[in-house]
Amino acid sequence: MPSSTEAETPAEESAGKTRTAPSRRRPSPWRRRMATAVSVFGELLITGGVVLGLFVAYSLWWTNVVANQEAKRDSSAVREHWEAAPDDDGDDTTPPPAYDPQDGIGFLHVPAMTGDDILVKPGTGLDVLNGGVAGYYEDPVASAMPWDEEGNFSLAAHRDGHGAKFHDIDKIDVGDPIVFETENTWYVYRTSAILPETSKYNTEVLAPIPEESGATEAGRYITLTTCTPLYTSRHRYVVWGELVRTEDVDEMRTPPEELRETE
Amino acid sequence: MYGWIWRHLPGNVLVRALISLLLALGAVYLLFEYVFPWAEPLLPFNDVTVDEGQETGQ
Repeated sequence: MPSSTEAETPAEESAGKTRTAPSRRRPSPWRRRMATAVSVFGELLITGGVVLGLFVAYSLWWTNVVANQEAKRDSSAVREHWEAAPDDDGDDTTPPPAYDPQDGIGFLHVPAMTGDDILVKPGTGLDVLNGGVAGYYEDPVASAMPWDEEGNFSLAAHRDGHGAKFHDIDKIDVGDPIVFETENTWYVYRTSAILPETSKYNTEVLAPIPEESGATEAGRYITLTTCTPLYTSRHRYVVWGELVRTEDVDEMRTPPEELRETE
Repeated sequence: MYGWIWRHLPGNVLVRALISLLLALGAVYLLFEYVFPWAEPLLPFNDVTVDEGQETGQ
């Protein structure tokens, strides 16, 4: 075969047309190389598309599976711990021995948003939130605890993926109950204000007196934050509540009336 | 690329199809277990907290 392949190509094509031989002619090395390059490029594009599709499946489905499993395990660990080691003095600020707050401090119930109880753990890092839980802020503004005399109990959780515990935060209306359950106490809050969109740098919403909610004096507040709009992290969605009352947990762990309508 | 892999797999069509399936599943496993968890925090889809503008941590 001569090495001047380019000059030969048209001749080959016309020869191929005129001839009716059924045997396929070998394409020139240059054409073969081009065909290989194009097909590898095409296969890479298809692979890239499949990988992106898999990433969507991972983000919106698989992370939920993993996180819900983890949250379920951790939640039952906390409940078992509560049953095993009754805290007799009924004061949440003195936890029973061998209690590790990393396990979770209690459960958030927001019937308007979800029928699930959401385990609450310390911290808002991804390592915490990816476990399908809500976390209370340690920085930039440290959260108060529900049992504190006053302050703002500020929480964050995922809107999508990783359990998506605050997925339906937009279903919460002003006046809806937000209940936090600890070992000994139900803390019943009522939604007082909603901020559907704010800057992700707006740390004011976590302030002990969150003024944007209309609060003017020290009190016992709760703040839920997550990202908005759905599937992005462009802004933050904030829901505030004010403590209405507390209720002691009885032996049956009967939920307060705010939760009973839905259960 | 995939044709090259196919030609280099041993066995008849059935065996090759089985090996291909295993390879594909292995690739998906590696993606779900290692690649995606690594890539996800680098993408701006999952920041849910308010912060003071640090890029990391949240």
